[in-house]
Amino acid sequence: MDFNDIIGYALRIGVIISAVLIIIGVILLFTFQGSNGFSIEQIASPNSIVNSSIFIPSEIVSGLPDLRPLDYVYLGLMILIATPVVRVFLGIIQFASERNKLYTIITIIVFFNLMFAIFLLPLILGK
Amino acid sequence: MLQPLEFFIAIILVSALSGILGSLTGLGGATFLVPIYTLYMGIPIVYASGASLISTIATSSGAASAYIKDRITNIRIGMGLEIATTSGSIAGSLTVAYIYSHHLQFIIYIIFGIVLLSQVYVQLIKSKFELPKPVKPDWTTKVFGLYGKYYDAALHKQVEYIGIRWWLGEIIMFFAGFISGLLGIGSGALKVLGMDWAMNLPMKVSTTTSNFMIGVTAATGSSIYWLFGYIQPFLAAGTAVGVLIGAYIGTKILVRITNKTIRYIFTAILIFLGIQMVLRGLGFGF
Repeated sequence: MDFNDIIGYALRIGVIISAVLIIIGVILLFTFQGSNGFSIEQIASPNSIVNSSIFIPSEIVSGLPDLRPLDYVYLGLMILIATPVVRVFLGIIQFASERNKLYTIITIIVFFNLMFAIFLLPLILGK
Repeated sequence: MLQPLEFFIAIILVSALSGILGSLTGLGGATFLVPIYTLYMGIPIVYASGASLISTIATSSGAASAYIKDRITNIRIGMGLEIATTSGSIAGSLTVAYIYSHHLQFIIYIIFGIVLLSQVYVQLIKSKFELPKPVKPDWTTKVFGLYGKYYDAALHKQVEYIGIRWWLGEIIMFFAGFISGLLGIGSGALKVLGMDWAMNLPMKVSTTTSNFMIGVTAATGSSIYWLFGYIQPFLAAGTAVGVLIGAYIGTKILVRITNKTIRYIFTAILIFLGIQMVLRGLGFGF
């Protein structure tokens, strides 16, 4: 199995895990008719007041044992977002193992851009 | 108003349909998703583009895992251009956060409409030539290693290619990333244009490499979308699952149809939605 296959499997596994978590979350949401203190009508309205600005990623993971449906949905979405990030990270390893200096540096810059957008920008914007 | 379960089923159906249309035209599900959500389902454009950005990541990763097996995607070229698309996406998503927080949504409707209408041109001239004309390598070909080869199953031969004008590709990709962050779409058509037209790469390499890049671009913008609350969990969940189903069905249909009439029907849909988006932006009641 060469490196490209590993990357292909990593992408597929990421998508499958996130889809499963999202589906579990939605099933729980319909079972409990609500989540995180909101009713299902509030959550499912087109103009819903429930959105990502009130969900802090670190709290989502710690809330999982409580079976809060939306935490499962959000964890699934986070894993989905993380999949391309993991892919870029594997790219760094791939180019480094090929001893391709230029592309190792290029991929590190791309990875830095991702990290900047995901972790540094929220801090800078102070939200 | 729809009951939660009915609404969820409607989301799945609409996003599956968008996924089918998106994979058949090569434009991605989001192109059809945002107009249908905003024009016909009463969903605010903020949430529509948030859900669509999420669905873009799902389809890109899903399809990329299949494409990698074919070895047509050029990871070197894709990763090199990602520098520009991720930077563009950061700029685009910050811009849209400014636009939404100042209640200037109409700008997004108009830009979205224009982007849809510009795709019409791309759809009509597309794929006249399967392979690019041979060109002389330039300095960027050597420095950035813009070459590769793949086996073309339709032409029954090994295709060797070289890319040129890396810098022009980067400029177009920054713009593609900006549009992606701004509208919550993958802007695959623009990425293909950058590789196909600017860098003289074969169509198959451009489309698969563009698909690979779309996921990384969208992931960059998604954090800002998350932060500002554009990701509505119920809508994003249904959209991600629906588009995945649609894209899967789409690829199964794709091998059966190459009919020109179908492309004209899709183009008519694009014109229809594009005009409606512009009109909505200008304040007419759609």
